[in-house]
Amino acid sequence: MKILYFIKKEFLEISRQRELLFMMIIAPIFQLLVLGYIVTTDVKNVPVGMIDLSSGKETVKIINRITGSDLFDVKYISKTNRDTVQELREGNIKAVIVFRDPVKAGNKIKKYPEVQILMDGVDSNTSQIAAGYFNGIIRNYILEDIKSLGVSPIVRSKPLIRFNPELRSINYMGPGIVALLLTMITVFITSISLVREKEQQTIDTLLISRLNPFEIYIGKALPMILMGIVNLCIGTLFAVLWFNIPVRGSLFYLLISVLIYLAAISSYGMIISVFSTSQQQALFFSLFSMITFILLSGLLTPLENIPAGLKWLVMINPLSYLIKIIREIFLKGNGIEQFYGDLLSLGLITLVISSISIFNFKKFVSK
Amino acid sequence: MKGIKPVTRKELYHILRDPKSLIIIFIMPIFMIFIYGYAISFDLNNINIGIIDYSKSDLSEKLQGKFLNNKYFKLAGPKADDNRSIESYEKLLKSGELDEIMIIPGDFSEKVKKGTPVDIGFIIDGSDSNTANIIYQYDEMILMAFIEDHQNIRDMLNISTKIYFNPELKSAYFFIPGINAILLMMISALLTSLSMSREKESGSIDLIFISPIKSYEIIIGKTIAYIFVSFLVEALILLFSNFWFGLPIRGDILTLFFFSLIFIFTGLSLGIMISMVAPDQKTAMLATLLATMLPSIMLSGFIFPITSLGKVLRVISSIIPATYFLKIIRGVVLKGASFSEFVTDGAILILMSIILIAVAAKKFSKMRKVAG
Repeated sequence: MKILYFIKKEFLEISRQRELLFMMIIAPIFQLLVLGYIVTTDVKNVPVGMIDLSSGKETVKIINRITGSDLFDVKYISKTNRDTVQELREGNIKAVIVFRDPVKAGNKIKKYPEVQILMDGVDSNTSQIAAGYFNGIIRNYILEDIKSLGVSPIVRSKPLIRFNPELRSINYMGPGIVALLLTMITVFITSISLVREKEQQTIDTLLISRLNPFEIYIGKALPMILMGIVNLCIGTLFAVLWFNIPVRGSLFYLLISVLIYLAAISSYGMIISVFSTSQQQALFFSLFSMITFILLSGLLTPLENIPAGLKWLVMINPLSYLIKIIREIFLKGNGIEQFYGDLLSLGLITLVISSISIFNFKKFVSK
Repeated sequence: MKGIKPVTRKELYHILRDPKSLIIIFIMPIFMIFIYGYAISFDLNNINIGIIDYSKSDLSEKLQGKFLNNKYFKLAGPKADDNRSIESYEKLLKSGELDEIMIIPGDFSEKVKKGTPVDIGFIIDGSDSNTANIIYQYDEMILMAFIEDHQNIRDMLNISTKIYFNPELKSAYFFIPGINAILLMMISALLTSLSMSREKESGSIDLIFISPIKSYEIIIGKTIAYIFVSFLVEALILLFSNFWFGLPIRGDILTLFFFSLIFIFTGLSLGIMISMVAPDQKTAMLATLLATMLPSIMLSGFIFPITSLGKVLRVISSIIPATYFLKIIRGVVLKGASFSEFVTDGAILILMSIILIAVAAKKFSKMRKVAG
């Protein structure tokens, strides 16, 4: 029962720190809100310029289509050549489209202008997407145009979108952000918890008390896990009520997975805490590992591109499993039979991390 | 002015005495560049496609070939045969083994030969809307190529694309200068915000208060020490990305260093401002993280282009120092832009630092008065 008093002390300590409570409860909501809007913005309003050196009427029609779409923000339409490279270098324009009269006449039904797209390739992702938009708009125009001449394309696509038919990116990113917030807050707070007692030397009082090391460990970790669960609830509620993200799967398994994950991540925070001698160190270590966790979790970028030699980094990253599971539960409504493999791997990682953590902690205490 | 030097020296001792932090500060950038250089890219290749071919004709084989003979698609799931139902494919879509299912109808070949339009079914996993969009674009592109082959309209359209500054569209080139900016911001702001709040927590700040050193001397002295560290980090990042990943530095390196100094100074000022307001280290660092890490990553144009953001977010983006420095560093490093193009951006950064420092100095003198 001693441990209960200890846990109570930990809670008291947390609840006495107004700023901390604020960070743990208000900050997640705020971040979910801002992140929710940022990460779901699709590429649009790409600033472009257009140079029309052609004589045909087709160019005007194509330019009108591009101007009319909200994918592009047309900065100028020029009839004469300009110093495009310098404009791209200054960065106020991401692409310039040049229309010219076709050089040679082929066996064509109709003559269309030659199109040249000059792009700033620095943001490779945006450039590719913008180039795709251009191609789409111009091709569509021509397809529609030849239809009026009686030539219709023989093959059409008939797409059917599963799981997220309106293609709302928040449905995909929202659950991931909840996982991200859990990680950030838990790692930070756990990693400082012990260091703080070290810095203020209250750790000695704790060590000469009648609590055994295991009880101290549990007493430190448990409140963090509980706070994590509170955060999960806030995050999920907010995701569902504000962003209308559907939860199609079982909340029970969501809770189980998050509990296992929190055990892993708070043990990890404890390792940092044991290892560090000052709050600054603890902060740097947790910051460093958190960025790595996030980058290699599949939250922001697809994991398929990671070369085989580095795949193991993803496989030992607990966050990558949680994000996969949480997305499957929210969006696809998958049951345990679809993700038991991931859950098992996550459990295994948790087991390894917490064993290392407890071992380290014992060693530290016995010193 | 002569108070500055001893404060700087004291601060440098603090830094050198904490090798663990120092190692992290210098290892973190290299590790991050390594990950970004090798592991992070937005490109979408090897989409797992399952094909159900009810037509089983030469023409449908040809269409399949069009889909599979490029880097975008990879045949996955069971080999197409009639015993497999659409449901069994949908199950694979649900478990994530397939990203897309293509269904070629039984009358595909006859209709194409006759010239009547025929629909090809695509079932796409829409969980990641972005990916789903790209997959659909690829589908359309390949169908278009098929149409062009068959209806002899291939030469009608002539679109050529020329890409400047990063012709191979390497995402590493995009990310590495960005990481440079973010790490500089984080390290400079974090280090200083901790340094002052640590003195508050341990009470050593009272010693400073009763010393003859003037307020601005303390602030400048601390700042100089951390400018030194941040600058080393930047040089390390540039050297490493240049030697290891062949990141070209096309512009004038002195121009870059000049603006880096201004940017580092802005970061340090922010850190000092936060540490003056925050009561202890924990609050200081959480506040610094909230103020630097997320906004710098999310709102500066590091990943998401600013032009796509909504109005409110764009306003927020314009008060984030990293936004300006990102523009400068990408311009100088990748595009070879010159000093004169960034005068306004530099001026904005300087203005930000002045405001931050002024707030900090005012708060500091007030604290001193209260203490004294």
